[in-house]
Amino acid sequence: MSNLYAYLTSEAPVSRGQARLAQAYRRWLALKANPLALVGLAIVVLLLLAAALAPVIATHDPLAQNLDQRLLAPSAKHWFGTDALGRDIFSRIVHGTRVTLVIVLLVVISVGPIGLLIGTVAGYFGGWVDRVLMRITDIFLAFPRLVLALAFVAVLGPGIENACIAIALTAWPPYARVARAETMVVRNSDYIAAVRLQGASNTRIVLKHIMPVCIPSLIVRTTLDMAGIILTAAGLGFLGLGAQPPMPEWGAMIANGREYIFDQWWVATFPGLAICLVALGFNLLGDGLRDVLDAR
Amino acid sequence: MSSEAPLLTVENLRVRFHTPTRIVEAVRGLSFTLGREKLAIVGESGSGKSMTGRAILDLVPWPGEVTADRMEFRGQDMMGLDKHGRRAIRGKRISMVMQDPKFSLNPVMSVGQQIGEAYRVHTKASRAEARERSLSMLEAVQIRDPQRVYDLYPHEVSGGMGQRVMIAMMLIGEPDILIADEPTSALDVTVQAQVLDILERLVSDRGMGLIFISHDLPLVASFCDRVVVMYAGRVMETLDAKALSKGKHPYTQGLLGCLPDLDHPKDRLATLQRDPAWVSGGGA
Amino acid sequence: MSDAITVSGLNVSFGTSHVVKDVGFTVRTGESYGIVGESGSGKSTILRALSGLNRDWSGAITIGGARQQAKRPPAFYRQVQMVFQDPYGSLHPRMTVDATLAEPVAIHALGDVDRRIDRALADVGLDGGFRFRYPHQLSGGQRQRVAIARALILEPSILLLDEPTSALDVSIQAEVLNLLSDLKAARGLTLVLVSHNLAVVGHLCGRVAVMKDGRIVEEASLEAIRSGDIREAYTRDLLAASRRAHGAISAA
Repeated sequence: MSNLYAYLTSEAPVSRGQARLAQAYRRWLALKANPLALVGLAIVVLLLLAAALAPVIATHDPLAQNLDQRLLAPSAKHWFGTDALGRDIFSRIVHGTRVTLVIVLLVVISVGPIGLLIGTVAGYFGGWVDRVLMRITDIFLAFPRLVLALAFVAVLGPGIENACIAIALTAWPPYARVARAETMVVRNSDYIAAVRLQGASNTRIVLKHIMPVCIPSLIVRTTLDMAGIILTAAGLGFLGLGAQPPMPEWGAMIANGREYIFDQWWVATFPGLAICLVALGFNLLGDGLRDVLDAR
Repeated sequence: MSSEAPLLTVENLRVRFHTPTRIVEAVRGLSFTLGREKLAIVGESGSGKSMTGRAILDLVPWPGEVTADRMEFRGQDMMGLDKHGRRAIRGKRISMVMQDPKFSLNPVMSVGQQIGEAYRVHTKASRAEARERSLSMLEAVQIRDPQRVYDLYPHEVSGGMGQRVMIAMMLIGEPDILIADEPTSALDVTVQAQVLDILERLVSDRGMGLIFISHDLPLVASFCDRVVVMYAGRVMETLDAKALSKGKHPYTQGLLGCLPDLDHPKDRLATLQRDPAWVSGGGA
Repeated sequence: MSDAITVSGLNVSFGTSHVVKDVGFTVRTGESYGIVGESGSGKSTILRALSGLNRDWSGAITIGGARQQAKRPPAFYRQVQMVFQDPYGSLHPRMTVDATLAEPVAIHALGDVDRRIDRALADVGLDGGFRFRYPHQLSGGQRQRVAIARALILEPSILLLDEPTSALDVSIQAEVLNLLSDLKAARGLTLVLVSHNLAVVGHLCGRVAVMKDGRIVEEASLEAIRSGDIREAYTRDLLAASRRAHGAISAA
């Protein structure tokens, strides 16, 4: 154990791998020092575990209807009660983590790269490239996210994939802005001048030297944005334009519970709490990551 | 030294930083007294000289920890004071000029207003009075056209003028002690001379105490009265500025020896041999 | 001896400000040429035009016998390299020393990366223990050594130095200046050194151009400067300032 510690905290690493591990370890130590970030991390890990082990954790089949047992209050048998079709709400929430994760992953893998590429290219080249790319970005920024997503879904048709595409299309502009701002600072630095003087091509400079500098702030931005993405997805679900029944999507579940909110409060409350918790988790983690990744 | 009580007494000052992997000691047991004089603290980067200035003003950033056996301002204990008490001394009685005026001035406020603002923080003066004082302060730091400079914004003034504005701002509360952290390092030699001239005059006219933090031994030797030489957070030796070149400590000699000399060219410059005992054992 | 660099009628403007005005000079192969001046005199701008970093200039620049255009061919960068003033800003903060030094080798497809990196580090007096560190794990002097290693790994014949020691402590400055003169002797480098410090320029260079407000006001050999055989009052001022600084510690 003490050997491992010495290996990870060595000031003079002897291989590429050790250098990377040591860097990761220092970040972990910094993150560990921030209790709120750890709470966030715990929530996110819990989300991942729940999604991975959903069939084991769930007490009932999330899709099985039982009209005899409609709208039962929380009890030992149905921990979070049942909904209007007699489905177990706890099991639906647990399975809903998968839907949430799919949305989050789809959005992140499409939004991050698009925003990064457009932002760095605009920032690095400047001039007309910058003007064209940024005006396009402004057009997308000019509309409220949910309204634009609504329009896209209306054209593409409802469904979870289309909801993701709609969210992704509306979510990238802020990422491009962040990446561009950072690139404009970095591009005038001496270390970029030094690689230019080594004869590096523009493509190489943007990909190998500028993007690595922008990625940490985009990761932070993504985790902070995650809450918004989940809420937008839930909003689309609530409006009936996202996940389609009987898929256990949290937003749609709230929508279903709306009619019974006064008499059977649990139907809408538990999925709402789940959204709150996950959004909070990502936010806390993002906040902690900002301190860790920006350090130095 | 005169017989009156010293302006500042510091005994066994220590500054520590607690990082996740280890504890870094920036200042390890520094002691000195300051009278109405120009005291230099010299050393290389990492010697703890800047942290000393910050510790006196209670400006050590988190996660730093400051301890001292004694830190007295005109016989008044500063370590025992609460935040408000220390703040009252800081800024009004002791103030600080940083290396680069560009980072210390508010970019969206005219320099004159900033000077006036500094005045109004410590006295309950009216705006008109503050303006009056600011103008006379700008004049005191040898700015030829104070009316015009008053309305300029920080980006419109040159480095040398910016540094003079900073000095004016720090001196408007008429402090007893000015801590100047590398005040001329960012300036050209010709401008440097003017700024030093102003500091010199303020010390002699107002009887102020000056702590001049610098890495530049030749400059300090010609400008200050006494010199504290620091290395790795410790004092190597304290001596008269006039006698700096006769310093006994090998570190002082090493620092002087490695400067290139225009008139006595050598093929190779002497390099400084650092003795680990300096860190553990202290001065010679 | 042939000429490594010839500059004539060089002009550089940024917007409305004319920073370099009709500058001309010649650097012979294997010579160390110094340019001194205060901030804003245009001395660094000349270096950036020479290196190809700044493409907005007019006049004639000939390097290694070839007339240079704004855009340089890849082979140019194997001939001319530059070291920057601030070692804290000139190394990529997220790349290890290893990655920084491997980059030029990869760009020019030279191969044999490991041997080249080890040799480059050895040449600047750093042992293998530094190879996998990040810049924040290095001191200022160590960083500047890495920056010099990065410049030399392409084995250039001309090295441009932009205030290479002004961000360093004097003891580190001495080490870096010694390193530069060793490397120059070992490799027969041509050096162009820009500095505000006449003593630093005097230590390394035989000839010095004095710049003021974008012009070279005087060019003189170091012997001439030492003996006071100079025309311009401004050069005399710089000399006096340098002597005054040193006099304070040596005269007493």
